[in-house]
Amino acid sequence: MRRPADWFLVACWILGGCLVALISAALLAIALPELADIPHLIRVAGETGVLESIFLTIAAGAIAVGILFVFGTPLSYVLARDRRPWSGAAGTLIDIPLILPHTVAGILVYLLFSTRGLIGGPLASAGIFFEDAFPGIVVAMVFVSIPYYVRAVREGFAKVPVHLENVARSLGASRFQTFFRVTLPLSYRHIWSGALLAWGRAVGEFAAVVIIAYFPMVVSTLIYQRFTTSGLAESRSIAFLMILIFVAVFAGFGLVTRGMGRDHDRA
Amino acid sequence: MIGLEGISLHLGRFSLRDVNLHVREGECYCLMGPSGSGKTVLLELVAGFHPPAAGTVRIRGRDASPFPPERRHVGLVYQDYSLFPHMTALANVAFGLRVSGAPAAEALRMAGDLLSSFDIGHLCNRFPGTMSGGERQRCALARALAVSPDILLLDEPFSALDPAIRTECIGIIRDLAEDRALTVLLVSHSREEAFALADRAGLLIDGHIVQEGPPPEIFSHPATLEAARYGGVENIFCGTVEENTNGSAVIQVGPVKIVSRSGSPPGRRVSCCIKAQDIMLGLKPPIDPGMNVLPGFVSRIFQCEDFSMVSVEGGVCLTVRVPGSPVFPVGTRVNAIFPPEDVLVYEGG
Repeated sequence: MRRPADWFLVACWILGGCLVALISAALLAIALPELADIPHLIRVAGETGVLESIFLTIAAGAIAVGILFVFGTPLSYVLARDRRPWSGAAGTLIDIPLILPHTVAGILVYLLFSTRGLIGGPLASAGIFFEDAFPGIVVAMVFVSIPYYVRAVREGFAKVPVHLENVARSLGASRFQTFFRVTLPLSYRHIWSGALLAWGRAVGEFAAVVIIAYFPMVVSTLIYQRFTTSGLAESRSIAFLMILIFVAVFAGFGLVTRGMGRDHDRA
Repeated sequence: MIGLEGISLHLGRFSLRDVNLHVREGECYCLMGPSGSGKTVLLELVAGFHPPAAGTVRIRGRDASPFPPERRHVGLVYQDYSLFPHMTALANVAFGLRVSGAPAAEALRMAGDLLSSFDIGHLCNRFPGTMSGGERQRCALARALAVSPDILLLDEPFSALDPAIRTECIGIIRDLAEDRALTVLLVSHSREEAFALADRAGLLIDGHIVQEGPPPEIFSHPATLEAARYGGVENIFCGTVEENTNGSAVIQVGPVKIVSRSGSPPGRRVSCCIKAQDIMLGLKPPIDPGMNVLPGFVSRIFQCEDFSMVSVEGGVCLTVRVPGSPVFPVGTRVNAIFPPEDVLVYEGG
């Protein structure tokens, strides 16, 4: 027997479908002219500058995520577990990059990491430079993607019942053993998800990066540079290549995390 | 074996106040009390997860405060069993052995043996999410016992089980405690579990232990009004003592007078508690003139499996438990009869 139409769901689909249509139209707008001129796309993709820029962006994003994993994972844990007053304050502070205009984030990073900056100054005297240098790109990426990683991972840790940790400790596991054998494995999905969100945010950053490090050029800077100097066609091809790479990364992520935690949810 | 001396603890709005509790070696002690009274917190305090604001926790006679949970040798089983969902049953049971430094092969062999002794050896490679409630409970018990604890802390371990499995699991724990001479601190809401397992019970109400003793005594002679309420005394009335002659108090409750054996002086506000099972119903007044007799009519009947709860209206509304099916239908004029000795009187109300 045919199911009667659920008009509420139909209405939701109509309204929500506008957003899906918007993204689809944008993708079509870039894909159709590029696919119509494959030789041009191949020529742009083969340019050394473009390849270097793509590699540089992906590498800087990956290093930023690595830094977030090392520093953001413990932070996420204490924010999820520690109920002391400063925990709430720290959580709010961590969210600030989320609400700042990207140029403001860039200024903040510049103030800290330029050769006259609070952190950049002393490090410059030790031979580590951030202005117009790879480390500058990484710190800008880390700064803007902190809340994306910490929010996702904190949610994952908060979902691990404290009782599991208590039982592990009653069985003789130290705090470290409990964290690495129980809490962390049960949060893998959220850690992966936070890492992907943070990486996506990091490699897409333009304003914060360009303020501290115009060179070497990340892809977003290169697209802007080509748009202002060579026009839409040149920048569009690089943008289309980036879309292809991002879709591949998301698909790969889906494959890696597909079976993760499958056994945890059955009850 | 376990000694709590003057324990106070504050967690947000909740607090434990001056808790003193001693569990002897090999004893099974049941901690009872309404939800939110602090039973689980007290259990976690013994396990070392909450440092007390005041007082001392002693385990095996020694002050346990310097010892973190992993060094207290205490087995803990929660209501939801808290099996590690990303590990198989075998890995769950082997966990404690592995973190204690046992070689992997040895730990797995011992874990397998332990699972077999609980009749769930065939579930070694199953994840907790695919096991039934009874299987998970056995697995959690096996895991707790794998590290040979001196003390077993059980937080409502039977509440998620259906009645048939629950009876079986109560038997398993009783046998285990006897065979291994375990000291067991059990949290439970159920008087059946307390009667079946506990040597002694303590009633924790609002963060304070109000009564201790053998389970039958706690339910038959509640020490406070709160204990009577928790024990499920069905008839609780507020009244004023009219007169007291040689320990026989006449209490005015609304339009009726109830006689009790109480030393409360005249004019004192009191609460009278009468268990439904202590009241009889009859068409005629009893021969014994010393009995309380409240005439009324049957207003409502709840038929249960092997007894009935009958409401009798007569100035006050009494609930009476009668065995089997009710003899008197709704509307029948009856006398509710109960001896003064069965009227428990508490100050205030």
